[in-house]
Amino acid sequence: MRNECDKVLDYFNDQLSENEKAQFEQHLESCSECREELEELRELTADLPFSSEPVDPPEGMKDRVLGAVFEEDEPVSNEEDPVVYMDEHREQKQEQVPKQSKRPWVVRGLAAALILSLVGNLYALTNNGQEQVSDPEPEPPQIEESTDQVAKRVQLKGENTQANATAAMIRQNEKELLTIQAEQLTPLQGEEVYQVWLIQGETPYRAGTFVANENGEGAVAFSMDQLPEDVEWDAVAVSKEPDANSETPQGEVVMSSSL
Amino acid sequence: MSNRDAELYQKMIDGDKQSLEALYDKYEKLLYSFVIKLSSDETLAEEVLQEVFIKLWTQKAKYDNTKGKFSSWLVTITRYTAIDQIRGNKKHNVSLQEETDVPEEQTQSTEDLVEWKEKSAVMKQAVQKLSDDQKQMVDLFYFKGLSQSKIAEQCNLPLGTVKGRLRLALKHLKEHVSALEGGIRDA
Repeated sequence: MRNECDKVLDYFNDQLSENEKAQFEQHLESCSECREELEELRELTADLPFSSEPVDPPEGMKDRVLGAVFEEDEPVSNEEDPVVYMDEHREQKQEQVPKQSKRPWVVRGLAAALILSLVGNLYALTNNGQEQVSDPEPEPPQIEESTDQVAKRVQLKGENTQANATAAMIRQNEKELLTIQAEQLTPLQGEEVYQVWLIQGETPYRAGTFVANENGEGAVAFSMDQLPEDVEWDAVAVSKEPDANSETPQGEVVMSSSL
Repeated sequence: MSNRDAELYQKMIDGDKQSLEALYDKYEKLLYSFVIKLSSDETLAEEVLQEVFIKLWTQKAKYDNTKGKFSSWLVTITRYTAIDQIRGNKKHNVSLQEETDVPEEQTQSTEDLVEWKEKSAVMKQAVQKLSDDQKQMVDLFYFKGLSQSKIAEQCNLPLGTVKGRLRLALKHLKEHVSALEGGIRDA
């Protein structure tokens, strides 16, 4: 097998399989040399597009392209939502979304539950300040047609554990929700809990608490209203805490991902 | 300039079609020309632009202004989209021999292409100063997006040597760019 550090070029050119890519991204977190090499490649190639000879686009291209673009609805929560990996500038192709038979359903179930619990608020919101809504029908919003949108989704993984989780930030009208769906968690003792943290720079913010069931599964939905606004979050992490009151991580971080 | 881009991008996220159109107008020709350089295929270039702007509009690709300039991000997205389509699309990879003969009509407004105009002469000259091997290395890696093993094969190099050679080529390129830019400033 190739050494991870030998995959920098193929990673840059998107030549790795899904597995290799995930492995390499995990490797990147611990290998500053590879991160620097990638950064250097980006920097050294950044101006190369400007060496292109100007070519006039064909007539009518703008209308065709923008026509097709505006036919696309903005994405709603579904299985094809982008999974944003650590290397954020690389958008995900749809076929690259990891094939997971169960999790999307669970996440959708979770999102649906949230929508149900919030549907009252939502209804109130959509009926105030209504002007921009193009749908003239006065019906209350259907759950399937909610404006929820997955703004970001990442996979959390840990070094020495099978435990993993999907974190999704769901934008719902003006609000943001963070949902975590974890599995293969180790059982908790006594008052222990799993605590979710959103991290900006060096500062962790509490972002939901959950426990594992007997199947090692746990989930939480957290309203980001409680957090400072307009923060660019750097990472999301889950730690095992002695109880549900930790203001900063006291226990070990079980898994994490950059955002 | 990039502040204006970030502003437009933000408005676009809020659903403003005109802002997306403004970004499109500004970058259409650069991106189109870039994909032509990558693929030599006009049909593919249009498809790539469409996909790129769909990704922008639907936020399948998200720009984060802490990670650098919008234009750099946009060309990166475009490059990946193009490489991806070229890979899946080899069959209609029509060669466009007259690529460099296409007349350079300056029909665009000036604002959209300032960065390109500023940099294109320097970049082209800097690339010309590379040795043929170095040019090939940059071409196979960046413009063709080939894997390391394919590059090794085409350049007849051991796999482990490719990275070092590429870095050297890119560093030479950067030195040439710096020297040329210095020259312009001194002139």
